[in-house]
Amino acid sequence: MNEIICLKDVTKTFKDKKAVDGVSFSIRQGEVAAILGPNGAGKTTTLSMMLGLLQPSSGTVKVLGENPNSRKVREKIGAMLQEVSVIDALTVKEVIQLFRSYYPEPLSFEELVNLSGLKEYELKKRAEKLSGGQKRRLSFALAMAGDPEVLFFDEPTVGMDIHSRKIFWQTVHLLKNRGKTIIFTTHYLQEADDTAERIILFHNGRLIEDGSPAEIKAKLTRKSVSFRKTEAINIKGLENLPHIQKVSVKGGRVHLETDDTDAVLSSLYKLNGFWKDIQVDSGRLEDAFEQLTEEKEAV
Amino acid sequence: MNAFFMQSKAEILRILRNPYYVFWSLAMPIVFYVIFTRVFNTGIDGQQEWQAHYLMSMTAFSVMGSAIMTLGIRLVEERAQGWSKFMKITPLTDTAYFFAKMVGQTVIHTFSIIVIFTAGAVINGVALTPAEWLMCGLWILAGSFPFLALGTLIGTMKKVDTAAGVSNVIYMLLAVCGGMWMPLETMPSFLQSIGIWLPSYNFGNGAWQIVQGNAPELANWLLLAGYLFLFVVLSNYVRRNQEAAV
Ligand SMILES: Nc1ncnc2c1ncn2[C@@H]1O[C@H](COP(=O)(O)OP(=O)(O)OP(=O)(O)O)[C@@H](O)[C@H]1O
Ligand SMILES: [Mg+2]
Repeated sequence: MNEIICLKDVTKTFKDKKAVDGVSFSIRQGEVAAILGPNGAGKTTTLSMMLGLLQPSSGTVKVLGENPNSRKVREKIGAMLQEVSVIDALTVKEVIQLFRSYYPEPLSFEELVNLSGLKEYELKKRAEKLSGGQKRRLSFALAMAGDPEVLFFDEPTVGMDIHSRKIFWQTVHLLKNRGKTIIFTTHYLQEADDTAERIILFHNGRLIEDGSPAEIKAKLTRKSVSFRKTEAINIKGLENLPHIQKVSVKGGRVHLETDDTDAVLSSLYKLNGFWKDIQVDSGRLEDAFEQLTEEKEAV
Repeated sequence: MNAFFMQSKAEILRILRNPYYVFWSLAMPIVFYVIFTRVFNTGIDGQQEWQAHYLMSMTAFSVMGSAIMTLGIRLVEERAQGWSKFMKITPLTDTAYFFAKMVGQTVIHTFSIIVIFTAGAVINGVALTPAEWLMCGLWILAGSFPFLALGTLIGTMKKVDTAAGVSNVIYMLLAVCGGMWMPLETMPSFLQSIGIWLPSYNFGNGAWQIVQGNAPELANWLLLAGYLFLFVVLSNYVRRNQEAAV
């Protein structure tokens, strides 16, 4: 069985607001997928349906081939929700041990502590007294308690400092190498670019793009070569060079939009030097992201 | 099974670490007991009887309080903070979670009963037969179920502050009008005629009867069972409506 998660034509309506609108996709075993999209795009709502916390208004959601509410599924998934909540009046160690007892084959306590990076003194603290970032680490440990096959992280690194963030993604890579299927959301696009092998882009409740980071970038590259003019030339003429799609002037620089920056560079070198300070800008995920969501708004 | 055991243990620990429980359910009843049996009412007729009667009042008062308030407010807090939602993605079922809470509460009630009974024996030398102690303890333990159900009804409220306010008022009204602070016979007759229908009076009265060498009255059994049924049905109804609204 290769398909771990399968959504078919899923819609979720709150009152008369469509939070998720006709979304279908599936996730294969061992995939690491990022769900991206602006605030209110429907990411958390979609994750909540995969976790069985919300029922879709129409369509079907299957996890490990079953209803997400089934016990078999719950034993094999782990999650960090967008809003971390902690149980009060128990120490970190007690909460972790409690969670281990819920699962048939839990990870060992030591391993959970190692994975989450919780410190010795933090283990003795009452869970409700942890700082925001420490709570995230605890909730990561709880997500891992049952040694799950599928992991859901909803904006896991919010509130983490740079160091914790780095450690967190290292751990995710480790889990990926162990063959876990991982689905996460984030607003830090770099995190998605670095970690996910697949990006699912949401906007206004719809799935608008689905592919590898490279594909998504390639599809919407605004790769360009830019330079400053040293003499008055007719830049319109540059449009006739091969591979150039658009010529524009922004902030005193001439921008040549292209799908092949190498070809443009070699053309420029062949022409005599009316240029200086050449820069190559190969599309960033941020740009692709902005462009996609802007385009959709215009429609 | 291990999960259920661990969960019950966790619930017990959480209540014991709750300062409100220690203050309202252990310290206050004992302080009241001292005030009303040693400071006032000394040298009255039937002093020994009064001391035993009032010990039962205070124990019932304590257990009723933790059943309504500790349970009710905690349920609201857990939902408000998103903990209940988080629990839904673990393999522990709602039912197991709920019963672990009930087991935890019952263990805590047993503990309160032992502590307050011991305080009565030490402070006033209240002397009941072992069978009477046991019967009183069991009655109070079993009689707490309608109040636990009331606690779960309070637990369906949305805001912690509302739940705390409402449960406090209900708790105090039940205690006063049910004759737990002052015997019902000392109150105006219209209050008496309301009081005898309250769950608190019927709860206390079972134990008051036992210390006088009687058995709890049939009406006590029936009314408590009726209230249990009513509160369970109500809180299930409210919960189902809330779930359907999502
Ligand atoms: N319980 C709810 N009741 C009513 N509307 C809701 C509810 N939950 C979410 N919504 C609405 O559904 C839409 C999608 O919300 P969702 O939380 O899925 O967005 P998101 O993509 O996770 O956003 P963010 O990046 O801010 O976390 C929003 O417009 C939100 O207002
Ligand atoms: Mg969200």
